[in-house]
Amino acid sequence: MIWKTAWKNIWRNKIRSLVVIISITIGIFGGVFAVAVMNGAIDQRVDAALNEEISHIHMNDPAFRDNYDIRLTLDNPDRLLDTIEATPGVVAVTFRTIITGMANTATKSTGVQIVGIDPEKEKSVFTLYKTTIPGTGSFFEEESRYNQAYIGEDLAKELNIIRYIVDDAVLDTLAAKGVPQSVTDKLKAFIDYHFRSEKSFKQEIKNVLNANEQREYGSMILDAAWSFRERSRMTLTFLDKNQVQTGAVFRIAGIFDVRNSMYEMSQVLVKNSDLVPLTGLTPDQFHQVIIKVDDMQSAPAIKAALAKKFPGLEILDWKEIQPDLAMMTDMIEQFYAIFMIIILAALAFGIVNTMLMVVLERTKELGMLTAIGMNKKKVFSMIMLESIFLSLVGGVVGMGISQAIIGLTARNGINFSNYQEGLEALGYTSHIYPVISPSFFILVTILIIITGVLSSIYPALKALKLDPAEALRTE
Amino acid sequence: MSNFIMAWRNLWRNRRRTFITSASVLFAVFFALFFRSLQLGSYDHMFKNAIESYTGYIQVQQKDYWDEKIVDNTFTYDSDLDQQLLADNNVEATIPRFESFALASNGPQTKGVLVMGVDPEKEQHLSKITDKMVKYRLTEESINRIKQDADVPQKVKELALLFKDNAYTNSSRLQLDLGISDKDAPLVMPAIETYSRFENGSINLREPGVLVGNKLAEYLKLGIGDTIVLIGQGYHASTAAGKYEIKGIVKIPLPDIDNKIVYLPLDICQELYNAPGNLTSLALAVHDNSDKAIEATINRIENVVSGEQRIIGWREMNEVMVSQMDADNKSGMIMIGILYLVIAFGVFGTVLMLTAERKREFGVLVAIGMQKKKLATIMTSEMLLIGLLGMLAGSLVATIVILYGVDHPIIFKGSMAKMFEDYGMEPKMVFMGINTYFLWQMFIVALMVLLSISYPVRKIFGMKVVNALRA
Repeated sequence: MIWKTAWKNIWRNKIRSLVVIISITIGIFGGVFAVAVMNGAIDQRVDAALNEEISHIHMNDPAFRDNYDIRLTLDNPDRLLDTIEATPGVVAVTFRTIITGMANTATKSTGVQIVGIDPEKEKSVFTLYKTTIPGTGSFFEEESRYNQAYIGEDLAKELNIIRYIVDDAVLDTLAAKGVPQSVTDKLKAFIDYHFRSEKSFKQEIKNVLNANEQREYGSMILDAAWSFRERSRMTLTFLDKNQVQTGAVFRIAGIFDVRNSMYEMSQVLVKNSDLVPLTGLTPDQFHQVIIKVDDMQSAPAIKAALAKKFPGLEILDWKEIQPDLAMMTDMIEQFYAIFMIIILAALAFGIVNTMLMVVLERTKELGMLTAIGMNKKKVFSMIMLESIFLSLVGGVVGMGISQAIIGLTARNGINFSNYQEGLEALGYTSHIYPVISPSFFILVTILIIITGVLSSIYPALKALKLDPAEALRTE
Repeated sequence: MSNFIMAWRNLWRNRRRTFITSASVLFAVFFALFFRSLQLGSYDHMFKNAIESYTGYIQVQQKDYWDEKIVDNTFTYDSDLDQQLLADNNVEATIPRFESFALASNGPQTKGVLVMGVDPEKEQHLSKITDKMVKYRLTEESINRIKQDADVPQKVKELALLFKDNAYTNSSRLQLDLGISDKDAPLVMPAIETYSRFENGSINLREPGVLVGNKLAEYLKLGIGDTIVLIGQGYHASTAAGKYEIKGIVKIPLPDIDNKIVYLPLDICQELYNAPGNLTSLALAVHDNSDKAIEATINRIENVVSGEQRIIGWREMNEVMVSQMDADNKSGMIMIGILYLVIAFGVFGTVLMLTAERKREFGVLVAIGMQKKKLATIMTSEMLLIGLLGMLAGSLVATIVILYGVDHPIIFKGSMAKMFEDYGMEPKMVFMGINTYFLWQMFIVALMVLLSISYPVRKIFGMKVVNALRA
């Protein structure tokens, strides 16, 4: 009965209620959507880290991670493999040889981590092979009599393996994509010139095109002129097991793009069969076991089970390997909650004001109700319910809109390409698919109800203080 | 004037409502200012760290060096250029550098490092290497001595264990990490300083020897007096290789640099890379580092350098960081935008109530001859006053907090500090003092009020007096 009255009361002054409801709708939508974008970015980061970069559990010599000493190997993989695979929850296992070294081309050199792998096993643990840039080759699919290396896009740029070239074919592609003649004519100035860096190419484009053309066609031109020199080579050098400098020429098998500059710059994947003969190690020696498990949350438990079986090794789960990732996934929910609380606190002011208005406007009516025997508790709960309904209507509409917009944007993602460089340096992609867990909606609903209750207390107390005799006399 | 008095009196007819509406504006303004101050302050601090310990505000480089950082893209250092640059009012000093990449090793440990040839005296104008020398270190031995000291409180001993192997460039950070209050400091600190003192050396021109970053030293297991081997690519594809003694260990506040930096005396470094007399960059220390002054300086010295060289500003040298800050800054602005939007609706709600409540009053006023324009002005002043009240109060509270915060940055102690350091951040949050971002809040609040006022103003002008009187 009181519920119904409260509900009907809200709609007595439609405009006033609608203003509050709309403000709550907008506040909740803004908050939830912003959280969904942040959450999407973090989810994608975690996903990429676990599927492409680190996987779930690492096992190595206890001192290995201190400085990647080539001599700190694990021996006899088959014996380890049987025990690991027998552990419940383990999905796939791969072994890696990891060596610190230098990658050189004719003009450039940079420090890298040379990772020796078995491509087939690697594919069962990591999805890195799926990130090969089309046209650059593959993840060791092609047999070759040369040594092969699989490297990141940023490293390829750094080593001048990727260049920018405008030739007739590029101009034709651009024309086919609808770039006007006036623009392609301007690009003819660079025909067959090899730009060795993205930056210098961009700079030159800036000089010939006006701002409008740059905005419209800039990224299209960059994509079209992006050129990979086939059969590119680089030299990998490092110190072998006996501290003797060694190295060999590697051909680029393929180039990957994981949208994380640090990873792309530092990792060079090569086949163990190519690497091991150079190192002075034997084929059954390697540095790290990488284990994929069925559920990322169960990694710590599986790690503990493995630790019992291999007391002499260092075994780490992903939370220990990347503490920043763990800290973020653990703390971010609290941050979301604080963010929503600040928004709701701002909304509360509007609700208090409206409810106060409701009470003062209905002085006579409330006096009458008390006079004919409605007890104080009922008056109090009526006001409180009105406030809760008001907040909930706005909240539910806001959450509904958020869900709809999240659904829409999640299909194609949102591209923050202006911030690509900065985001990728932190390991985040600039193409974000917003996502939110259903439990967040429950949290928000609870917070909305609490806001409704809290902001009705003051107005409801005001209503209680009314003296029925006095109230009846007011106009 | 009378309009204003009328508006002022009207405000206090419903005190409660005025207070609540103003309070909502206060809330938004306070939060907006507080967060902006922290956000802008931390950007500023990060940039200062990056610029002052590494790139500097302005550099002169060979024209292709920035795009392709190889030893071949260097230029000859001549005193003419130096004199001309120093002639500029804003240039405090020129700091010659030779930077390159090399593979460093100490026995079985190998790592790619950033080799930087510097003139230690001139670096005092910019990166101040001497201030970054490690002075204290909580080694196992020093922790044991701390443990045995009966005067040291138990809590400090526990924290010392948490910060095992940490290096410090000054005793105040050491004091904070160990959670020692200023009151206890004179009692305990001298002893702890003695236990954890780290004997460090320095480098000088013409004397072979290197300084290495603290993280790098840890990784390569290097101590003072050890030898480091550097192998790289020299001038015109020659091989650059050399063996140097570690003279000292520095701690750079940028983890990315700290784990790969090797400082060499400039001339020794040029020798290593077979490029005597050449520089990769000439960094400039400036008197005035405001954006405006930097830009003006760059414009002035453009003429000084030859066509073979170029001037490059800090923004371009820290492009990635600028882009990150930009993204973070925009997201902060969106959050504040949402907050203001919500508050704007609250203000609009108040306006709506005011109008509905006083419909009859408006009718009477107009009926007895008040101009609609005057009425609208009063109404507008009323709402502007509410906004102004909230904004002034919010700014006042925020100013007090921010001014206090500027002098007392939030510095984390103990285990909280450890968490920040593990994350690669300085355990410190810095506020930005009063600046143009204050003006923005005023502008937004004014805009918010003016938008919501358009409703009653339209109502007043469209009002039919007869209907209004009957309301």
